[in-house]
Amino acid sequence: MLAFLRRNQVLLSSCLCVFLSLSILAAAARGRLRADPVGPLLLTFMRPLQIGAHAVGLWVREIADLSARLGGLASENRQLRERIQELAAERNRLLEVEATNQRLRELLAFRSQLPSASLTASVIGSSASTWFRSLTLDKGSADGVVKGMAVVSPTGVVGQVVSVTSRSARVLLLTDPHSGVDVIVQRSRARGIVAGSLDNGPVMKYVKRSEDVEIGDRLITSGVDGVFPKGLLVGTVTKVRKKSFGLFQFVGVDLAVDPSRIEEVLAVPPEAAPPKDENRP
Amino acid sequence: MKLSLLFLAVGFLLVLFQTTILHLLPLGPIVPDLILVLCVYWGLNYPSVGAVLGSFILGYSVDVFSSPLLGLNAFAMSLVFLAVYLSSRCIWIRDSLLSAAVVFAASWVKALALLMASSFFLTPDGLWRGFLQYVLLDALAAAALAPILFFLLRRGQRYIETAEMPS
Repeated sequence: MLAFLRRNQVLLSSCLCVFLSLSILAAAARGRLRADPVGPLLLTFMRPLQIGAHAVGLWVREIADLSARLGGLASENRQLRERIQELAAERNRLLEVEATNQRLRELLAFRSQLPSASLTASVIGSSASTWFRSLTLDKGSADGVVKGMAVVSPTGVVGQVVSVTSRSARVLLLTDPHSGVDVIVQRSRARGIVAGSLDNGPVMKYVKRSEDVEIGDRLITSGVDGVFPKGLLVGTVTKVRKKSFGLFQFVGVDLAVDPSRIEEVLAVPPEAAPPKDENRP
Repeated sequence: MKLSLLFLAVGFLLVLFQTTILHLLPLGPIVPDLILVLCVYWGLNYPSVGAVLGSFILGYSVDVFSSPLLGLNAFAMSLVFLAVYLSSRCIWIRDSLLSAAVVFAASWVKALALLMASSFFLTPDGLWRGFLQYVLLDALAAAALAPILFFLLRRGQRYIETAEMPS
């Protein structure tokens, strides 16, 4: 008997516990379980542990929430940065459109002062050599561009068309040493030729020593070369040097047009009439 | 003796976890039943009178903390231990995945025991509503945690047994 009990002690004790719990259940259900001595003890024992564990759990959850929020903020920050980049690109594009619009408006206003045969063209290339200064336009003979046309912009004279293909044209800039434009000093009407040079930049050549030229004088086209309409701004005098010998004085010029910044130009036929207002810049 | 005390301490720790920290997990109303996992472990790996008493006491503790009727969980845990113990006499389970499957099955045994006892001793209005869904989620949560808890308990048991072994 004892051996049987020992051999099946787990099974028997399990069954006993099942029956014990059932009897507790039955007593509790009928309300006969007056006093539960274990429950209050257990609750008292566990209370501080529960308080501590709950506090730790809340702390851990707060940390987890914080890290999750930080993760969310990082993601939001990344999205906002991308949005800023997109908006910056959009802004740049709009500014570019606005600038182009402004340039074209000026060109249009300027064109109204020129003969109707004038053509609007865009610059699509620059010279590939250090020795020569030229631009390539997107209009050619098919558009009405012919060799010898004056190329101007609202800010001043640019150069002259020197070669033409059906869809493009090459413009020799005023900064090229091989170019030249007949000019007069707006203030004193002294004449000369503005041409480019490799060493001193653009200069006004063939100005007699006796002529009245001062720094800051505006130079405009004379119109006598039959290429450039009269009265277009070419540049301003930046340097005047008279030597004690020789026929001419040295006059340095700052051109009105910076060829590196020009994007749209007007090609004017050689026989074009001069603009009405001679003093227009 | 040391092992029984260790297991009892672990059991109370799990009761503490179940009544505090596990409620903070983002699992909705589901609280992983770690005490059930411990009872299954005892039934499989530590079948003793101490384990029987431990199952009963832990079930009773759960009753003290959360049951509407004293003895419900004590009955369910005792029944689970008995079922697992009887099963362990027929099948030898050491694999983690199989132990998770046993825990999953034990969850259903416990749920059915609770349902039966509640039906008999209480008036369980609406207890059947969502019963299957809740039991399934509860069983899945317990089974998911079973392998790691089994691993830790096995390590602890081995450590104590090695320490108690006479040199």
